[in-house]
Amino acid sequence: MRKRIVIFLIVGFLIYLIDVFLNPDEDNKDIYISDQELTSLITAWKSQVGRDPTDEEIVKIINNLVEEEILYREALLLGLDKEDRIIKRRLAQKITFLKQETLSENPDQEVLRQFYDANKEKYFIKPSYSFTHLFFAKETDSEARSIQALNDLLADKKSIDSDPYLLGKNFTEKTLEEIARNFGNNFIIAFDGMELNKWSGPFESSFGHHLVLLRDYQDGFYPSFNEIRDQVLSDYLTLNKENAVNQYINNVKSEYRIIINPNLKF
Amino acid sequence: MKLSKSSIVLIVVLGLFLIYMFGQSESSLEIVDFSVDKPETKTTSIASNEDRNPYYGDLHVHTKYSFDAYVFGITATPDDAYRYAKGEGIKHPMGYEMKLREPLDFYAVTDHGIFLGMVEALADTTTKISQKPFAEPFHNLNRPENMNDSSFGERANLFSGVLRGTIVNPYPYWHPKVIKAWLTKNTAVALKTFDYDVHKSAWADIARSAEEHNDPGKFTSFIGYEFTSSTNVEGGNLHRNVIFNSSEAPIRPWSRIDSINPEDLWTWMDKLRDKGVDSLAMPHNSNGSNGQMFEMETFRGYPIDNAYAEKRMRNEPIVEITQVKGTSETHPLLSPDDDWADFEIMNKRIGSRPPTYSMAPGGYVRDAYLRGLTLSWTRQGNPYKFGLIGSSDSHTGAGAYDENNYWSKVGLLDGTAQARGAVPLTADRVRMLREYAEEYKQPLGISEEEQGTYTAPGFFDQWGASGLAVAWAEENTRDSIFAAFKRKETFATTGTRTAVRFFAGYDMQSIDLNSESLIKEAYAKGVTMGADLMAEGTKSPDFIVWAQRDKNGSPLQRIQIIKGWIDPTSSVPSEMVYDVVCSDGLSVDPVTNRCPDNGARVNINDCSISQDIGAAELKATWSDPDFDPGSKSFYYVRVLENPTCRWSTWDAIKAGLKPRAGLHQTIQERAWTSPIWYIPQEDDLDIIPLAGSVSSGD
Repeated sequence: MRKRIVIFLIVGFLIYLIDVFLNPDEDNKDIYISDQELTSLITAWKSQVGRDPTDEEIVKIINNLVEEEILYREALLLGLDKEDRIIKRRLAQKITFLKQETLSENPDQEVLRQFYDANKEKYFIKPSYSFTHLFFAKETDSEARSIQALNDLLADKKSIDSDPYLLGKNFTEKTLEEIARNFGNNFIIAFDGMELNKWSGPFESSFGHHLVLLRDYQDGFYPSFNEIRDQVLSDYLTLNKENAVNQYINNVKSEYRIIINPNLKF
Repeated sequence: MKLSKSSIVLIVVLGLFLIYMFGQSESSLEIVDFSVDKPETKTTSIASNEDRNPYYGDLHVHTKYSFDAYVFGITATPDDAYRYAKGEGIKHPMGYEMKLREPLDFYAVTDHGIFLGMVEALADTTTKISQKPFAEPFHNLNRPENMNDSSFGERANLFSGVLRGTIVNPYPYWHPKVIKAWLTKNTAVALKTFDYDVHKSAWADIARSAEEHNDPGKFTSFIGYEFTSSTNVEGGNLHRNVIFNSSEAPIRPWSRIDSINPEDLWTWMDKLRDKGVDSLAMPHNSNGSNGQMFEMETFRGYPIDNAYAEKRMRNEPIVEITQVKGTSETHPLLSPDDDWADFEIMNKRIGSRPPTYSMAPGGYVRDAYLRGLTLSWTRQGNPYKFGLIGSSDSHTGAGAYDENNYWSKVGLLDGTAQARGAVPLTADRVRMLREYAEEYKQPLGISEEEQGTYTAPGFFDQWGASGLAVAWAEENTRDSIFAAFKRKETFATTGTRTAVRFFAGYDMQSIDLNSESLIKEAYAKGVTMGADLMAEGTKSPDFIVWAQRDKNGSPLQRIQIIKGWIDPTSSVPSEMVYDVVCSDGLSVDPVTNRCPDNGARVNINDCSISQDIGAAELKATWSDPDFDPGSKSFYYVRVLENPTCRWSTWDAIKAGLKPRAGLHQTIQERAWTSPIWYIPQEDDLDIIPLAGSVSSGD
């Protein structure tokens, strides 16, 4: 095994030497235009202008290309590519795309499952409450009325004196956040440890007092991996596209030393 | 360039051949299904409420794809905008976080259709179009080191100078792109500054984002854009937002390049509707239209007729009454007897340089309702029978609705208290303004005042933290909310989450206001906001109003009903503001129709408000003391909160200063419902108005 590697390295080195010998870099003044490059330029020209170029125009296209290449190389020789912000940004952009594309579209199950485990909180289905409430409007002695109503309810009285609530009487499968949006933040404390199918209260909201009958309660839960596999996959891919570049930067960052003049005044 | 005779003949022949072969096609009518494959999420069934819930949203938000927003330093994407609406924080270009106190129920990104996505492409030096010479001033405009308010000079100049010259830059008439533009009825293609592929992909991204964020039962989004048109000479603003009620939408937005005439927009929407794509357009900033949003004649100056009225109402059932650039309910000049008319008045034509006064008549919705009555009196139909919504028109992707948490609208240009005129300018800033005025030959917009040098008054200081659109709908789904817009069962707020009900009928007295079945009965026995109430003999209708305060806002002060009518014999239009119910147990004075002062005050030193004054909810049955069964009339509700500090006061006290002189220190946040129109019985006497110059109809 080791022998093979040695042979491989020697052959490689020889090829490299031949290459250096045959193509000395410094005075390479050849401009090679590939068929592909030319056809793509002509296609671009066609799509812009909407017809085939004439021979004259093809000559012009080629001349433009040649001139551009010459100017480019001369600019390189003069070192004009150094410290050019636009060139830097363009190159940075290119490597960014490159790093984003290296992601595999189909990560294997185990990776996905780990991602799911690590981000479980994100998929948590919050607890929800279904309830009916009786409302006693502020400014109508709401606290006393609500206590009276609770007693009437416990005594099984038929007619209960309460007020209509603008947003309705029955609420179905609401999370605490949604309840807070309809009743105010103070009100959600009421639901802590509330018993099912039993009138409780009175609880104060921004609008008055309430008696609440909790009809149904769904505990919060984590949906299983299989139930939401597609969503996990799409989240995984989105997140990783963003992360791929950051990770790459972080990996190579340690090789760099950053020097900033600490005495610089703005 | 000189063309030989034979080549002209050749071009003509070729052109004729192409027309013969393909004919003109309408690219704007090509429909694309933008729906996305969303992973199946485990959702509980959508709860539907037949008494309807109020859903709060914003139908007017711009992102980086708007040509002006990008110039203002906005890099927020449609995805960012929807994340903001759902409650996440996003970054303002000045670097601070924008976040809602409570999430919204629906949202629509509505970038300018004209030049959509193009400025970003001009700025991005890797695109093809950015290589053209006119793109140069835009190159890398929003690079990180340029994201600060010192770049305002460059940006203001790009916006008001360079852009105008850049956009309209057509190819010569013989150019193949011009022929292509003509063949596909897509004028924009004939512009050198336009790249159709960039444009389409920006539009597709907006649509994708709307589709991805639409979450039936929880959050609704609409594919939409802004039709940014104005009249030619006067620059009267005719802007509309267009939203689609489907995942299907045209391949490109119809913009002012296609036509500046809104009637052509409606024709396009009608054609799309025939193809199964329903949409509606919402006029906005009528206050900046120089009276041209609600005219008494058509765009081209012809008389309005029934066909025009029907077409307009079919396509424009709701109008934006309030937004960051002022409120368009009414104007002190139009409603001198309305003590609340001087509210967030913005009196400049939209986008005018230099800022130019905008005429009030024809620019405010109450006036428009009266004009509609006049037009229907002369049997021309009523084109102004629209409902009301508010929205923000934020260009940052994030609406600023809260006086105490305000970033105005145009990113780096008004993202600080000094830039928007609430506090004095720093010496540095004054120097920069001088440099800008000199370099770009602009007037120096500063004003020396008691506390220091401010930006000249009358611009950003007239803008405000407003507003929201609210729909009464059965459930939070696109269909349900869109249906509410179409039947105009909507109200507008200045940013607060007030809720208001409004019903009218002839048997409303029989409904017990304290009954649990109040809403069910009201729906059964009457009509609600946005609807017509037909006359029943000479019976006088009763109205039920019911409002609930924003739990995080200021308590309610009063509910008013605003009535407009037209005298059946003289045809003179009139209006009246009635206080209907007062807070704190006070009662309306039957002579003045006013509530007494409830004593609520604001402490300007710290913006604290009176405790225990004002109401959590107000509710009443009301009948019109001046009812005339023969008068065409409309009634709408205005709910007023106790006063609070205006954003400019908050900005000043946060800087340890006094509020700027000349600005309102406090405002009364409010809500307006869509009107209910009372339709009298047509009598047999056929009035032939205007000496018979308009056909009497039959």
